[in-house]
Amino acid sequence: MRLVALDTFAERIGLKRGQGAAEARAMCPSLDVIAADPAADQAFLEALADWCDRYTPLVALDGTDGLFLDITGCAHLHGGEKALISDVLSRLFSLGVEARATVSSAAGLSWAVTRYGDADVIAPGDGDPVLAPLPVAALRLPADTAAALERVGLKQIGDLLEAPRAPLARRFGSSLLLRLDQARGFEDEPLSPRLPVPSFSAERRLAEPLQDEEHILELTRHLARDVRSSLERHGEGGRLFELLLFRVDGRVFRVRAHAAVPLNDAVRIAALFRERLQAVHDDLDAGYGFEIVRLSVLRSERLDPAQQDFSGAPDESQPLAAFVDKVSARFGPGCLMQATLAESHLPERAGGFAAVTDVAAVLRTAALEEKAFPENRPLRIFAHPEPVEATAEVPEGAPRSFNWRKTRYRVARAEGPERIAAEWWIDGEDHPTRDYFRIEDQEGRRFWLFREGLYGRETASPRWFMHGVFA
Amino acid sequence: MNMQMELTVMAGNAVQRQTVLSLRETIARIEDRGVPGCVRSAKTADPAGFRRGKEEATRRKILPLGVPQFDEVLQGGLPLEGMMEIRNAETRDAGAAAGFVAALAVLYQRQKKENGRLAPVLWISQTLAACEAGQPYAPGLKAYGLDAERFLFVSARTVKDALWIAETALSVPVFAVVVLEIRGNPACLALSESRRLHVRARAGGVPLLVLRQAGEEEASSAFFRLQVKPAPAGERPLPDGSVLCGSIGHPAFHLLVEKSRRQASDDIFLEWNAHDRRFYSLDERRSAALQTNDEPTDPVDPLSASADRPRRAQPMGRLLAFARAS
Repeated sequence: MRLVALDTFAERIGLKRGQGAAEARAMCPSLDVIAADPAADQAFLEALADWCDRYTPLVALDGTDGLFLDITGCAHLHGGEKALISDVLSRLFSLGVEARATVSSAAGLSWAVTRYGDADVIAPGDGDPVLAPLPVAALRLPADTAAALERVGLKQIGDLLEAPRAPLARRFGSSLLLRLDQARGFEDEPLSPRLPVPSFSAERRLAEPLQDEEHILELTRHLARDVRSSLERHGEGGRLFELLLFRVDGRVFRVRAHAAVPLNDAVRIAALFRERLQAVHDDLDAGYGFEIVRLSVLRSERLDPAQQDFSGAPDESQPLAAFVDKVSARFGPGCLMQATLAESHLPERAGGFAAVTDVAAVLRTAALEEKAFPENRPLRIFAHPEPVEATAEVPEGAPRSFNWRKTRYRVARAEGPERIAAEWWIDGEDHPTRDYFRIEDQEGRRFWLFREGLYGRETASPRWFMHGVFA
Repeated sequence: MNMQMELTVMAGNAVQRQTVLSLRETIARIEDRGVPGCVRSAKTADPAGFRRGKEEATRRKILPLGVPQFDEVLQGGLPLEGMMEIRNAETRDAGAAAGFVAALAVLYQRQKKENGRLAPVLWISQTLAACEAGQPYAPGLKAYGLDAERFLFVSARTVKDALWIAETALSVPVFAVVVLEIRGNPACLALSESRRLHVRARAGGVPLLVLRQAGEEEASSAFFRLQVKPAPAGERPLPDGSVLCGSIGHPAFHLLVEKSRRQASDDIFLEWNAHDRRFYSLDERRSAALQTNDEPTDPVDPLSASADRPRRAQPMGRLLAFARAS
């Protein structure tokens, strides 16, 4: 057993990472040993990243123990950089998290100073004097490069700053100079945020935490009104909304809701979340309440304002869209399905159901085709054909009687066979052929049975299946 | 003193008679039935001489099916709003029941045609029901006369979810018909819930078909309840007027009327013609033959048929009236 992490106290008494547990206990007898759980650490870090969403939407994970926050344009909302940093640290401290933070103009500089130096805010251009006394490891270098630098006596970053660049690059590779330039802010370093940045969002910070669902919904409606104005300015409507609820104790809940058509109406948006909150009711534990509520639009589409005509008749796709929204907010977006037809010989591929994507299309499609359709397709079909034991004429006759679900049926009339070969371009060439029969039993029930495989050519003992029932 | 007593008694009688009369009138209005000597409130005109919108609304809207025997049971035709129940006794008869419901859906869909476009049909199915009896199949529905592009299907995990979706759908004025497929007799769809659905359906002006798969007869608020059994189909007609021997023609249904406001004299045999998109009565000869085959084991009817109630005698031995289906 070895130590994997140290806090300030442990560092002070001289424990080291990778030290054996027995040796560590000899130095500090009151040591409690807890097994490391990297997955839980990662989950905790991600929860903290969620929590940091309150400062900026651009939050990136850094390894297993760090976070980058891009606070460009956000600092003034929290009373300046200094105030922001003290706010972050004091809040984290009250959550029981020991943290260090630095604000600077370059991600590399912040990283170096946070871990090896002590300064909280570094003004642009003041980087070099702060960097100079730090060890070279503060440049995020690979371990062997850092060791090689130390071996030749370049122990501090200041030594590198003075050294000529060309020999350094020749001896230690270009990555060293890249890291150095990143730390000095000469080279741009893009952060990749964990989550996409919403195109529109509105938030409310509350002095008194909210617990009641009704209040959350009321607030959502207010936020939706704020979002609406920016959506309208861009001529867009949201398709995917997200409600972020920051709980007092640091936990963050994300509730997403899909809209069937682009939406910018505050009441409709709030109605989406009414259903969603009902659906997630048990998972959404308000605890001591939510202190920040934010509504974001994650996906939006063009929405042209529609003119109402004099008759006052509402657009007929609107009520259907509202219904689709309501149902899918409660039971998930794939719940409401639309029948689809496909060009295929195999019955299970020819017809199916797909989630409703375009609500207007359901109503818009052209007038009904007065075409005759073959009547030899059943009304209901089994997702998995059910095996039956059938007595039939060999080789290709219709069944005379069969056992289905432990009941014997005598066949009164049969129509068939309708031979359907497998689709070799999908299933491969050795897939058996099916012979379908429409069957009516003596009481008048009509079934769709098929025999899988042709006698002699494909199989010696073909099996029979029940595939559907007719009206 | 004596005289006065007499007078109060007489006044009491008159009040009672008035109460009974008004109650009778209320019942007649609820049952939508003319009672002799009872003026229907719908006929009173507005003093200003205008007809009120409400007057028209009190009249029930119906969709005649063109089969006199069946229309008579339905009091003229299919109601265009409110709840109707169709059930089948066994899962293996689910095809017949689904076929009958789909046929009604076709009729409703064609009736609610607006500027050349058909209204969508919503089919809500308990997942268990769809597993046991199969999912609706789009090519089959299309062949049956339904517009498959406007067929929306929801598979609800529990009965409560299904009821919630049905109730939501009934408040939206877009669907031609809402079908609610339930398996068995779940406790959460009892009389009060069915009453609620019925009221919602009437308020929304949407017909609701409850398809009870493999369920018992149970009291509900539906306009009528039919049991659907399979019936042997006719044979395919040939152009020269004869039939193709041994073929399976248009689907046929055997309907037992379990609840209706009019007396149902016999079992009804119907045939659905998907090309004409209407029901036909199975020809007399064949239904007569089927009727004799179907003779009950005990031919003596234990109770006389009532004129105003379902034909069939209720099973004996059940003690409580409210447990019995009405």
